[in-house]
Amino acid sequence: MISAYLIHVAIIICIDLVLALSLQISIGYAGLLNFGHIAFFGIGAYTSALLTMQGVPWIIALLCAGIIPMFFAYLLSIPTNRLKGDYLALATMGFSFVIYALMLNWNSLTKGPLGIPGITKPIIFGLKISNNLSFLILALVITGLTYSILHKIVKSPFGNLLQATRDDEDAAKALGKNTFKIKTIGLMISAFFAGIAGSLYAHYITFIDPSSFAMMMIIPIVCMIIIGGLASLKGTFFATIILVIIPEILRFVGMPSSILGPARQIIYALILIIILIYQPKGFFGKVVLN
Amino acid sequence: MFMQLLANGLIAGAIYALIAAGFSLIYKTNKFVHFAHGSVIVAGGYLLYLFYSLIGINFWISVILTIISTALVGLLLNYIVYAKLRERKASPTIMLIASVGLLILIESLVLLIFSADAKTIGFLKVAKGISLFGAIITPLQIVIIITAILLLGFLLWLMKNSSLGKAMRAVSDDKNLSEVLGINTKKIYNYSFIIGSAIAGIAGILVALEQNLEPSMGSNLMIKGFTGAIIGGVSSVPGAILGAFLLGIVENFGIWFLPSGYKDAIAFGLLFIFLLFKPDGLLGIKKGIKK
Repeated sequence: MISAYLIHVAIIICIDLVLALSLQISIGYAGLLNFGHIAFFGIGAYTSALLTMQGVPWIIALLCAGIIPMFFAYLLSIPTNRLKGDYLALATMGFSFVIYALMLNWNSLTKGPLGIPGITKPIIFGLKISNNLSFLILALVITGLTYSILHKIVKSPFGNLLQATRDDEDAAKALGKNTFKIKTIGLMISAFFAGIAGSLYAHYITFIDPSSFAMMMIIPIVCMIIIGGLASLKGTFFATIILVIIPEILRFVGMPSSILGPARQIIYALILIIILIYQPKGFFGKVVLN
Repeated sequence: MFMQLLANGLIAGAIYALIAAGFSLIYKTNKFVHFAHGSVIVAGGYLLYLFYSLIGINFWISVILTIISTALVGLLLNYIVYAKLRERKASPTIMLIASVGLLILIESLVLLIFSADAKTIGFLKVAKGISLFGAIITPLQIVIIITAILLLGFLLWLMKNSSLGKAMRAVSDDKNLSEVLGINTKKIYNYSFIIGSAIAGIAGILVALEQNLEPSMGSNLMIKGFTGAIIGGVSSVPGAILGAFLLGIVENFGIWFLPSGYKDAIAFGLLFIFLLFKPDGLLGIKKGIKK
């Protein structure tokens, strides 16, 4: 019983970690204050769920769950590319509202507020991931891959360009770099992995509805990357684990679930505000947003 | 149909305008996005519910208590969080993220105290609509529009003519120069939060009378106010008001072509059009906008 619960928490940590690491690329490394990231997560979840329902093999659905959000990221980057800070935050929030409205109202595709039940568990080359332990192994593999790929990307020459654009876009432009392209690719990479996280989520919970992808659901993830520190994958790793576990403690002191939800949000909000005041770089952060 | 949609647009616009005006006042003076403004509005609605429906205080006294309380909430937010961040020279982006944290904090506190069930303030019994130029409007909706216009008029007058308004504009233009001239900027920041949040409280009261109260409505209202402000020109209070009315009208006319579920999506369609073609907003005021 306890081990089943621990496996569940570990899977949630993996999913949140992939999502937080992907957000770290856009906010931490590209400096794009992307508050609409949950939309990519949602698009990935719906893509993967709908495709597997049509009989598409899981592994292909997973790839599409990454690629379709990339395409949306490209579209989003066109009107928002000149924007910074406040304006970008609002525009990306707007984007996430539009996607949410589509999920809620495009009944023939998404079944609207009723959501999609009975999403199948992944089948990899005939091997069915039916129990949670094997799902955890799958989630660990995907999380490990995500971490190492993103680590490679941020250490690559492209990663340096991305950070240079974040620190001084005009200087990067003056050196002849196409900052529009750099930022767009950064956002697309970020969206790809958010979509992968979405697919993991959909096939683990086996039910999705629009409420999981409302704009405010991104806040805990933003907390994770701020507390861990911007432009630090390691920081995100530790912060995600800690932030998923802390509210779980409330469950053990016997808090009813109606209080648990808001209490968890209050804890996140308080930690976030205190960190911003006293440790604005987070614990492993290298940069402060300006 | 046309007149009805126009009337609905004006009513929505009146509420958005109150939100946008308070928000823009704070933005203009403080130079950061006070996102928690949305939760101050919700707090206003719930405080009215607390004073009037739960405790049973006289309606008009409840209204006054609510406005004073929201003004104090705004002042406290500035005092406890923003002033500390400002002392540490936090960037506007950090302030924005902190304000999102505050939004969640207040929203969750409201949820914890009042639960998620929708609340109604039973002050006005459902009144029969009056037919006006072919549109059906309830007396409450007329009150909303009149309150908004009077209040916004007063705010504009205050900003233009009073010494406080002049000091606010001075701080907005050049903080350092204002300090040299002996303006106490800390005090001006406090005043901007008091006035902005009091207007948010009034918006909250009107929202509470017009619709059911839900703890999560703050972020949506805030995003509408913010969008209206950007469409109009964010650092100009008159621009923000104009943009908010435009947003309300466009949103309601959009329902002519699309199912009503897409209302929010229409608002953001409008936002993206402005961001693409006219990022400085209708009044085209560049001052104070970070590019």
